[in-house]
Amino acid sequence: MKNKKLMFWAIVGIVLVCIAVIVMKPTKLGLDLVGGSRLVLEAQTTDTIAKITPDMMDSLRFAIENRVNKLGVAETVVQQVGDKRLLIEIPNISDLAKAKEFLGETAELDFKKEGTPINGQPTWISTGLSGKDLSKAILSTNSQTGEWVVDLQFNDKGTRKFADLTTKMVGKPMAIFFNGELQSAPVIREPIIGGNAQISGGENGFQYEDAKKMVDLLNAGALPVPAKIIEENTVGPTLGADSIQKSKVAGIIGLGLVMIFMIAFYRLPGLIADIALVCYSIILFALFKTIPVTLTLAGIAGFILSIGMAVDANILIFERTKEELRAGRTLFTAINAGFDRAFTSIFDSNMSTIITCVILYMLGTSVVKGFALTLALGVIVSMFSAITITKNFMHLIFGTGELRYPQLFGLRKNEIGKAFEAKETKREKAKFGVLD
Amino acid sequence: MANSEALGGKHLIDIVKYRFWWFALSAVLIVPGIVAMIYSSMIYPNHAPLKVGIDYTGGTILQYSVTKSISNKEIAQTREKLTAAGIENPFLQIINVNPANAKNKKINSIVSVRTKFIGERNTEELDKVSSIITSEYPDSQLIQVSSIGPTLGSELFKNSLFALALASLGIVIYLTIRFQLDFAISAILALFHDALFVIGCFSIFGLLFNVQIDSLFVTAILTVIGFSVHDTIVVFDRIRENLRYYSKKMSFGEIVNVSINQTFVRSINTSLTVLITLGALYFLGGVTTRDFVLAMILGIAIGTYSSIFFASMAIDVWRERKLKK
Repeated sequence: MKNKKLMFWAIVGIVLVCIAVIVMKPTKLGLDLVGGSRLVLEAQTTDTIAKITPDMMDSLRFAIENRVNKLGVAETVVQQVGDKRLLIEIPNISDLAKAKEFLGETAELDFKKEGTPINGQPTWISTGLSGKDLSKAILSTNSQTGEWVVDLQFNDKGTRKFADLTTKMVGKPMAIFFNGELQSAPVIREPIIGGNAQISGGENGFQYEDAKKMVDLLNAGALPVPAKIIEENTVGPTLGADSIQKSKVAGIIGLGLVMIFMIAFYRLPGLIADIALVCYSIILFALFKTIPVTLTLAGIAGFILSIGMAVDANILIFERTKEELRAGRTLFTAINAGFDRAFTSIFDSNMSTIITCVILYMLGTSVVKGFALTLALGVIVSMFSAITITKNFMHLIFGTGELRYPQLFGLRKNEIGKAFEAKETKREKAKFGVLD
Repeated sequence: MANSEALGGKHLIDIVKYRFWWFALSAVLIVPGIVAMIYSSMIYPNHAPLKVGIDYTGGTILQYSVTKSISNKEIAQTREKLTAAGIENPFLQIINVNPANAKNKKINSIVSVRTKFIGERNTEELDKVSSIITSEYPDSQLIQVSSIGPTLGSELFKNSLFALALASLGIVIYLTIRFQLDFAISAILALFHDALFVIGCFSIFGLLFNVQIDSLFVTAILTVIGFSVHDTIVVFDRIRENLRYYSKKMSFGEIVNVSINQTFVRSINTSLTVLITLGALYFLGGVTTRDFVLAMILGIAIGTYSSIFFASMAIDVWRERKLKK
C-alpha cells in the first residue's frame, strides 16, 4: 500500500509538471489550423531568359519546395498561381525575414577563369562549371585557420569537368562566384581529380551564418530563374477559422459525452478511467509542446485515434476485471488479474500501431508524418496511462477484500461469484470460465 | 447487454455458424464501391477512381479586396451562400493585409476563394462568385483571378501507398511472431477490407453527391487502417488465449465463437466511444472537416464489424481448410 501511495504522488507530480509546461510553452499549430504567412514569388525575366516557360516554373517550384523543406517547418504549401507566380504558405515561424531571404535567393554558383583585363580591372569568363554540377555541399572548418569553409563535392560529370579545368589552369586563378559575387579566387597549384573543392570566405573569412546559408542553398539547388517576393501577407487558417472554432467546441462536447458514457457503463471504474484520461491528455499535450510537434488536422486525427485506443485499454481492463469478479475473486486479485489478462491485447495492438507509425514516419510525406508522430506518441503515453495511472487509482480506491458494493462496477449482487463457482461442472458454462 | 449475460453462457450468439453469410454481407458492402471506382476511372477525365478536389487537380483562385476586417461568422456565412449557389467546395481564406506593404491603404483584408477550375470564357461562374461576394461585402473589388496549381501530386499517393505496403509487411511480420501467419494475413485482409469499403463509399458519394476528396482523405484512411488493425488484434488476442486452454476440448470454430462473444461488449463500447466523439464533430463541428470526419466514422464502424465478422471468420475458414487436408 505504501508503494501505491508513493506511485500516486509520483503521478500527481508528473501531471503538475506537465500542466506547468502547457501553461508556459506556446502551442505550435499548422497552417490549416492557425494560418501563417503567405508569400507570392514571381519569376523574373532577364537578358538571357526572355520568357518564363512552364518547364521553368516546374523546376522553380521544385527548387522552392526543397528550400521550404529546409526551413524545417511542417506542412507548408507551395503552389503555382497563374503563369509565373508561386504561392508559398508557411505556418507562423519566428523568423520570417530570414525565411524570405532564404527563399528568394537565386543561389547561383559559378566557376570562372580570368579573361583579358579591361581598363586594368580583371574580368572573369564562365567555364561552364556551375552549381548544377554539385552533388552536395558540406559545412566545415579549415584545419589550419579554424575558419568556416564550404566543402563542395561534384557529381560524376562535375568531377570530370573540374579535373579537366584544373589540369588546364595550373598556375592560374579560378574564381568562385556565388549569386554574382566573387567569393574567392584561389590559384590552382595542381590538377584536382578527386572532385572536391572548397570555398573559403576570401580575405575576411565566412561568418557561420553565411557559410551555413550557402550550404543550405547549394544543397537545395539553385533557382532556374531569378525570382522575387512580390507580396507578403498573413493568412487565416486554410480550414477556415470559423470551422475550427466550431470543431473545437464539438470536440470538447464529444469528449464530455465519452466521459459520461464511461461512468454510465462502468460506474466508479469509469470515473477513474475518466480521470486517467484527463491525466493522459495533459501529459500528451505537454509532450507535444516540449518536442515540439506542429499540430495540424492530421496530427489531431492521430491524437483522437490515440484517445480512442487509450479508452479501449481501459475498457479492456474493466471488462476483464468484471469477469474476474464474477468468478468470485477478491477485489485485489480481480483488479490485478484484469490488468494482466488485458495486457497482452493492449501490448500487441499498440505495438503494431507503433510499428506502422515508425514506417509511415520514415517514408511518408508531411501529412502522413504528422499523423504518425502524434499517434505513436499518443499510443506510448496511453500504455503508461492505462497501466500505471488507472491501475494505481483502482487499487487505492477499492483497496483489498471482497467487493461489498457490486453496483460500483455495474454488476448485480447475484452475479458475483456465482457464474463460475467450482461446483459448476456443465461444460457449456465452464467453457466461458475464467482461465486458470 | 449491460450485464454481459452472454459471457455467462446464457446467450451465446453463434456467429461462426453463419460465416458464409457474413462474407456475403462483406461483399455486399464492398463490391458496389469497387464498381463505382471502376466506373469513375472510366468516366473521369483524369481516370481517378475517386472524384478528386482542387488539392489534386488545381483550380482557380479569386481574390477580393475588402476595406473592413472580416469576422469568422461572416466568412462562414459567405461559405454557405457560395455552396448554396452551386460553387463546388469553395476554400475560403481571409488574408489580413499588412498596411505597410499595401498599395491601397484602405484595404484591410482580402477574401481569397479557391474553387475548381473556372475557364476564362466561362464568365458565368465567375460572375456568380463575384455577385455573392459583392452582396456580402458591398465595397469588395475583384483584384485577382488566376489559375492555381495542385498542392498534392500523384507522388503523394505513390509515396503513401509504398509506405502503407511496407507498414502492412511490418504488421504481418510482427503478428506472425506474436500469433501465427494465418492470423497476420487475416488481419491484413481485414485492413484492406476496411480501407476498400471507405474508399468505395467515397467513390459512390463522388458520383452521387459530387463529394470530392482532399488532402485530408489520406489522413482519414490512415486512421481507419490504424483502428482496423488495433481492433482486430484485440479479438485475435482472445482467440489466442482461449486456444491455449481449450484447444483440446473445443473445436477451433467453437473457440472463435466464444472469443467473439467474450469480447463483444468491449468491441461495441470501444467503437461507441470513438463514434461519440466523431459524431459530435460531424454534427456540431466545422463544415470544412465534415467529409473527413464522415470517412473516419465509416471506417471505425466497418473496422469494428470486420474484426468480428470478417477477420475472425477468415481465420476460422482457413484453419478448417487446413484440418481437412
